[in-house]
Amino acid sequence: MIHTIRVISKNETDPKGQNLLAEIKSTLNINSIKKIRTAKVYRLEGISKKDLKKIIDSALVEKIDQKYSVDEPIFNSSSKNIEVAYKSGVMNPEVASILKTTVDLNIKLAAADSSFEYAFFGTLSKDQLQKIINRLLVNETVEHIVSKKPKTLLISGKTPKVQIVPIRNLTDSQLLDLSTNRLFLNLEEMKVIQNYFKKENRDPSDCEIEVLAQTWSEHCTHKTFKANLTIDGKKKKPLFERIKSTAGNNNKIIVSAFHDNSGVIDFYDGWAINGKGETHNSPSAIEPYGGAMTGSGGVFRDIAATGKGAKVICSTDIFCFAPPDLPNNKIPPGCLPPLYLLKKVVAGVRDYGNRVGIPTNNGSVHFHEDFRAKPTVAVGSYGLIPKKHAKKKAPNVNDLIITIGGATGRDGIHGATFASGEMTHQTGEVLGSSVQIGNAIEEKRILDVVITLRNENLIRAVTDCGAGGYSSAIGEMGETVGAKVQLDNVPLKYTGLAPWEIFLSESQERLILAIDSKNIKKVQKICKLYNVQISILGKFDGSKKLSVRYKNQIVCDMPMKFIHDGLPQRNMIGKSRKNKLSEKLPKQPKNLLSIWQKILTHPNVASKEPIVRMYDHNVQGTSALHPFGGENLDAPNDAVVLRPILNKKYGFITAHGLNPILNRIDPYWGSIWAIVEAVSNYVAVGGDLKNASLIDNFIWPFPDSESLASLDKSVDACVDVAKVLKMTFVSGKDSLSSTYRYPEGPGLIESETLRVERRSPRTDGKVLKIPPVLLISVFGKIPNIEKTASSDFKKVGSAIVSVGKSDFKNLGGSTYFDVMNSTSNKVPQIDLKVLPKTLKSITKGIQSEQILSAHDISEGGMATTLFEMCLGGQVGAQIDLSKLTRQGVSLTGRPDFILFSETAGTFLVEVESEKIAKRIFRGVPHQIIGKTQKEKLININRGKNKLASASIQSLKNDWQKPMMEIFK
Amino acid sequence: MMKPKVCILRSDGTNCDEELFYAFEKFDALPEYVHVNELREKSKNLSNYQILALPGGFSYGDDIAAGKVLAIELTSFLKWQIQDFIKNKGIVLGICNGFQTLVRTGLLPFNNLGKMDVTLAPNDSGHFECRWVKIKADKSPCVFLNGLTHPIEVAVNHGEGKFYTDEKTLKKIEKQNLVIYRYIDNKNKPTQKYPANPNGSSNAIAGICDPTGRILGLMPHPEKFVDITQHPNWRRWKYNSDGAPARQSLGDGGAFFENMIKFANQS
Repeated sequence: MIHTIRVISKNETDPKGQNLLAEIKSTLNINSIKKIRTAKVYRLEGISKKDLKKIIDSALVEKIDQKYSVDEPIFNSSSKNIEVAYKSGVMNPEVASILKTTVDLNIKLAAADSSFEYAFFGTLSKDQLQKIINRLLVNETVEHIVSKKPKTLLISGKTPKVQIVPIRNLTDSQLLDLSTNRLFLNLEEMKVIQNYFKKENRDPSDCEIEVLAQTWSEHCTHKTFKANLTIDGKKKKPLFERIKSTAGNNNKIIVSAFHDNSGVIDFYDGWAINGKGETHNSPSAIEPYGGAMTGSGGVFRDIAATGKGAKVICSTDIFCFAPPDLPNNKIPPGCLPPLYLLKKVVAGVRDYGNRVGIPTNNGSVHFHEDFRAKPTVAVGSYGLIPKKHAKKKAPNVNDLIITIGGATGRDGIHGATFASGEMTHQTGEVLGSSVQIGNAIEEKRILDVVITLRNENLIRAVTDCGAGGYSSAIGEMGETVGAKVQLDNVPLKYTGLAPWEIFLSESQERLILAIDSKNIKKVQKICKLYNVQISILGKFDGSKKLSVRYKNQIVCDMPMKFIHDGLPQRNMIGKSRKNKLSEKLPKQPKNLLSIWQKILTHPNVASKEPIVRMYDHNVQGTSALHPFGGENLDAPNDAVVLRPILNKKYGFITAHGLNPILNRIDPYWGSIWAIVEAVSNYVAVGGDLKNASLIDNFIWPFPDSESLASLDKSVDACVDVAKVLKMTFVSGKDSLSSTYRYPEGPGLIESETLRVERRSPRTDGKVLKIPPVLLISVFGKIPNIEKTASSDFKKVGSAIVSVGKSDFKNLGGSTYFDVMNSTSNKVPQIDLKVLPKTLKSITKGIQSEQILSAHDISEGGMATTLFEMCLGGQVGAQIDLSKLTRQGVSLTGRPDFILFSETAGTFLVEVESEKIAKRIFRGVPHQIIGKTQKEKLININRGKNKLASASIQSLKNDWQKPMMEIFK
Repeated sequence: MMKPKVCILRSDGTNCDEELFYAFEKFDALPEYVHVNELREKSKNLSNYQILALPGGFSYGDDIAAGKVLAIELTSFLKWQIQDFIKNKGIVLGICNGFQTLVRTGLLPFNNLGKMDVTLAPNDSGHFECRWVKIKADKSPCVFLNGLTHPIEVAVNHGEGKFYTDEKTLKKIEKQNLVIYRYIDNKNKPTQKYPANPNGSSNAIAGICDPTGRILGLMPHPEKFVDITQHPNWRRWKYNSDGAPARQSLGDGGAFFENMIKFANQS
């Protein structure tokens, strides 16, 4: 028997209901609802009357401000009531806590669940309610509407037997059928598998096929990056090899590059720092809340499971969406509205990162219509690790295979192969099981326990269970040694999983450890102290095979060599296509101010403060440069500076750069821009590039000939800039699935039709290539955090200097052109000869404390940079552009081009006097453009000619408005 | 002088423990991490410490309500240890999630272990808030805070920090002067306005103590500002000392810990 307890607040204050109501008004334009109340619903199964009263009184209800009902409605019939719960089998993270507290209260309980009920007061038509449910309330991938009380909350099933997949006699087209929507391998790869089993004289098990598909998936093995290439008729080295070759640029700093779950570089006093960037685009496209959570969770575990275990110290988030106000008829079938995606992704990052206690202090959000089919959700993370524990070693023969953390369910089956495939309008339905909700506290427990185990020297090796689950983690760790696994030892969330599902499941918050068998007692004891579940799955047995059993059945028995080296290297051909945008330049505007205002309200430029304030960016107490600073704490900084060891002065810096639109117009120069933007952000706070390294994330469309050629150019750009700056890449990741297929037809859709569309299987139709994204992250060390700078102007009467060589001619892809509906194929050309000198002068100027504030010029141009510096300082500025228009620096002489050019690698800085500027920028292109002033006005002139004048306050209102409207 | 020993209580989801450890260490106490399981299985005992500090975080995910599951664990298994600790004049400090936990055990404000008198409800904004606010100490039985009358800047990082109770209890709290800190505006007056009052707390209450002044809790984080460089604007103070902490080298939270530790030593 199940009892249902509904709890609401006594008074009418209901922030959850109020926020939902505001959202309904602003996004659905439904204004007839008067009020929304929310109730928390608990369902308890197998509990006595007496215990029910006890748990209500001591745990579920706080009578100071709450009232409740048992087994009856809490809202009267005047409202429309909708209860939203997770689907059966989707893990609700709260349940574990409810169960724990019942044990603590000495209460007997068989099962529990929790959910929310929403009561809508006022008038509301059936259609309107359905719209609210579809668009804002329920994600059918993981949630459902509870229409009647469930009979039981317990999930169980019979364990299916191992299936044999007859593959030896399949024709080519049958092989491809087997692959489609399940294995995502091509014919050549399917044939390699077929031939192997022909030789072995047997057919594979379901598990063996799945293990191969997972290990050979693009997501896990990066076939494209390892392929031999022919680009535009020229043979070229594999992309991965080229990126790795940058190691020679600054060998000294590397501790471990492209070898482990993250890249590791040197820090101070025997410490090292590690970093990694990941993407979680496909899951976030269909379940943004869970997708963002598990994306964060995965990258935290990558950091923690580096070497013998690292402490996670920082989290970063970079997103690309379609504009939040995209009209419904532009959203492709099968896709979620961008506003919903944005809000849910932010909520996922917030609820996961905050709970795990990792500061989320760097990130950005970009908008472009062509992300309407699939967003980019990139999460980065960084860690601190003793250098002596930083190198990953293979386990010894006879080491135990240990799993710690969460139990295994049918979560995320096919995640690795799914992420490798193109998405179609059917993906949401066919592969819905790939997505899950994270449990942040489970993650926190395992991150904590790993540090303790490492400090006690109990870990031989550790790795994360991410894509591919145990198959990937054990397969990789045991690659040289061999592993023997007994699957019945895996703790399960519920019975009924097939053996291959147990092995491939991507249930979150699990790690695999190699432990010397003599230490197992100690390890078990520490895990118990931290409430971490631990099981022995088998041992690294020296057989050089992967043998997996479930009870007496053989589930998998293949040599590691075939699993890891059997995949043929691909030969791929790419041909570039010239971009042909029309050259449509804006007319010289009469009113510069109105354009400036438009640029400040452009979502790519507008303040993202409301998002950042929901992330805990200050936990761990390490922040030495916060995301926002200045007099009113509302002006953005360029990078994050942390002091990861609180009683030391040395620090950690990270920054990033990307520009999908430039990437698409010009893959080479757009990529140069991304890297230069990343390092400029790094340098603008005082970082020194010789103590830093790079991380790449390529988020590209499926590598057809054209996209492969643009990818090749992007990699060339990475290698070229790294060489010029003497920097090295230490970690990277590619996700080559930014392509979306959907049926032809009018752009539909209200969500009702959308769901119908999802069901009709059609393979013809349109292809949407999402803009390619090269995301570059920089991280490194600094000896003294006191020698760093923020972006806010510090004084009245300081000289404002523009530093670096600007391209005032090529504004293709700029915010300015976007605002003016102008187009050009000519993107900013960055002078790579001048760049290193410019960057060095900024680093030196800050470290010698002669630069009082610095801010890099990027999206929105110099005008935006200037505004943000004034805002932080609560001072105005008197600017004269005549020197910039005169001295041949600008070929066009157009002040609009000067103010809104987006040349990465250029800066505005504040120094006390012209004299100082001349001294520190000797040999570097620079111009003194004006002075800070007490009056909070920015006046931009050319000689005596007044070009624009605006108060800081009015510009701030424009700049803050877009995100404040979305995140109230 | 003996350094007072501090038990920094950890549980699943604790996360502001390291900065709290650092703050105690910096001002000459002897902090030690103690997992709640160690107290439950008695491998460690509260009687060995002078200060029990409950840090911020999300104990057990803040499931059901913030700090609730930990509060139940403490009242179910550690009731006697805690009561002895208080009887022996130990100091109990709860910050953020620690405050939420103390309130839900009933220790705050009236030392009623097992009976809840006030609550910390979800913020009026409906979501987590990470920002800096100004607070000011009220005169209270918490004697070691009484000298600290300057307004101070502190970080808040929470989603459920709205202090709320019925009118009668609120009056009783005010009458007994149990409020230790209130959120203030630019004119240093207690405020109900967002975001200076980041959660909508009644009477702008940011922290309270019990009538002995030895049990105290607050939502803001003094431990996150014990070095000047932890503030977002320390660079500005090099050029203009307006707004800088009274003692330049330390953060505004420094005196909080310094005074508490001195007090623990004297008693």
